[in-house]
Amino acid sequence: MDVVIQIIASGLTLGAMYAVATVGLSLVYGSLNMLNMAHGALLTLGGYMCYAAITHLGFHPIFGLVAAALVCALAGLAIYVFATLPLLRAENFETNIFIATIGIGAVIESLMLKSFGPYPIPQPLAVSGSVVIGNVHIPLQNIMILLTALVAMAAVALLLQKTRAGRAIRATSMSRDAAQLMGVRVGQIYAQVLALSGGLAAISGVMISSIATLTPVMGGDPMLKAFIICIVAGLGNVYGAVLAAIVLGLLEAATQYVLGVRWSFATLLLLVILVLIWRPYGLFGRQQVVRL
Amino acid sequence: MAEPILQLKGVKSGYAGRLVLQGADFVAGKGELTAVIGPNGHGKSTLLKTISGIVRVSEGEISLKGKRLDTLRPDQVVAEGVIHVPQGDLLFPGMTIYENLMMGAYLTREAGSVAERLERVFTLLPKLKDRRNQVAGTLSGGERRMCGIGRGLMAGGEFLMLDEPSLGLAPIVIDQIYEVIFDLRHAGMSILLVEENAERIMDQADSIHLLDNGRFAWTGKGAELMARPEIVEAYLGA
Ligand SMILES: Nc1ncnc2c1ncn2[C@@H]1O[C@H](COP(=O)(O)OP(=O)(O)OP(=O)(O)O)[C@@H](O)[C@H]1O
Ligand SMILES: [Mg+2]
Repeated sequence: MDVVIQIIASGLTLGAMYAVATVGLSLVYGSLNMLNMAHGALLTLGGYMCYAAITHLGFHPIFGLVAAALVCALAGLAIYVFATLPLLRAENFETNIFIATIGIGAVIESLMLKSFGPYPIPQPLAVSGSVVIGNVHIPLQNIMILLTALVAMAAVALLLQKTRAGRAIRATSMSRDAAQLMGVRVGQIYAQVLALSGGLAAISGVMISSIATLTPVMGGDPMLKAFIICIVAGLGNVYGAVLAAIVLGLLEAATQYVLGVRWSFATLLLLVILVLIWRPYGLFGRQQVVRL
Repeated sequence: MAEPILQLKGVKSGYAGRLVLQGADFVAGKGELTAVIGPNGHGKSTLLKTISGIVRVSEGEISLKGKRLDTLRPDQVVAEGVIHVPQGDLLFPGMTIYENLMMGAYLTREAGSVAERLERVFTLLPKLKDRRNQVAGTLSGGERRMCGIGRGLMAGGEFLMLDEPSLGLAPIVIDQIYEVIFDLRHAGMSILLVEENAERIMDQADSIHLLDNGRFAWTGKGAELMARPEIVEAYLGA
């Protein structure tokens, strides 16, 4: 019983962090057909910005998180202006932006390495203490992460479902041409989505570094998992991605316990392969739309 | 002829490396029903996409009531009052009918006029009202077409372009759709209609334009077209 509680607690924490990392990736792919390979670096950037704001600028931890989100939102905007926009005008956007964002990610990571050094740094945004359920001590940190992720997800869902801007984002991801015919300025939507995705990446980077540590390459692993989650859910399906993230988080926690840490990634990949054989468009992927 | 609302002068446009419109000259009258006919693949849809700004003009001019459209972005063209109901509907499949209609009114900020238009669309297309909460991806062909037209009308524009509104529908549904279109026209709306089947709009259209290989090859009234069976035969294979 205690083991189950333990697995669920750490699985949900993992899942929540993955969900926040994945939603941004999925939104960007859904509305622009853009695989943002710099997403992991944005996560890293967010983690370090929060650290720098708290340690070097003396920000309150909450404002450290907000500052990190703002910096990464701006970075997302910069990616739009300097990479997406020019490449959209040419052909082969999807391939070009894929390669361009790999480069951008490398630049960001090098900047972090130069500025903060190669050694792991603890994330100052952390709470100590724990709650006890049964005989299991669940760190307050995990609960904080879960709550933060819930708030972030709820805010994104509210934005997408209930606001004019959110409806335009969804419309653009369903049909760019039709959205334009409704008067949506798609360039603005793209910019908004990349900024939002940057902000979410920052939040997820801060959360991840608060239970691991800050390193210049910390974004790689969560980004890989975010991609896997996106593909399992069906690229561009935001709500499916949240669900898949939580399921995969739980699965990872379970495999880590049952088989050991080194098997968790292999299990994940095996699962992806099985899902894609069964449903090539992902679990919640869009069926090919019938066109007249 | 009524005073012109839309005017094209020597318009050339197309897709990467492929010119489709090759110098199209064209006038649509205010408050009139203007029909464009022509064989498959000769640029009818491209004509509408060029007017709405989705396809860029490479040469020539497009103007609405004297104001240049060809230099504007698609969202600015919509703001000028041009509505484009595209071929194949292009609904937002994951949204309900209601949300689709609301997207149609995306540029209208006053809640009052949106509610008014919604009321009018529901009166004109009552089926949409019954099904307002159904997801568009699950609609039948006829319902999709109605939703597409309704969504267009939600924009409140004054120049309505319809790309093959009868495509793929059963005859009885086609009649329903055309009834709506003719109603709109009698209510004074300026309409540009693309239709493959010339006979369907023969009596109602104020002018008919035949698009052949990216140029207008013939313009006239329905009765005049009937008097020229060789044109109908050569271009439309009827
Ligand atoms: N997105 C596109 N990219 C490249 N070529 C295109 C594109 N859309 C249309 N074309 C080409 O442009 C030409 C004109 O197409 P268009 O859709 O305007 O024809 P149409 O008259 O509307 O035909 P239909 O009656 O079949 O709808 C065709 O040869 C078509 O293959
Ligand atoms: Mg067409």
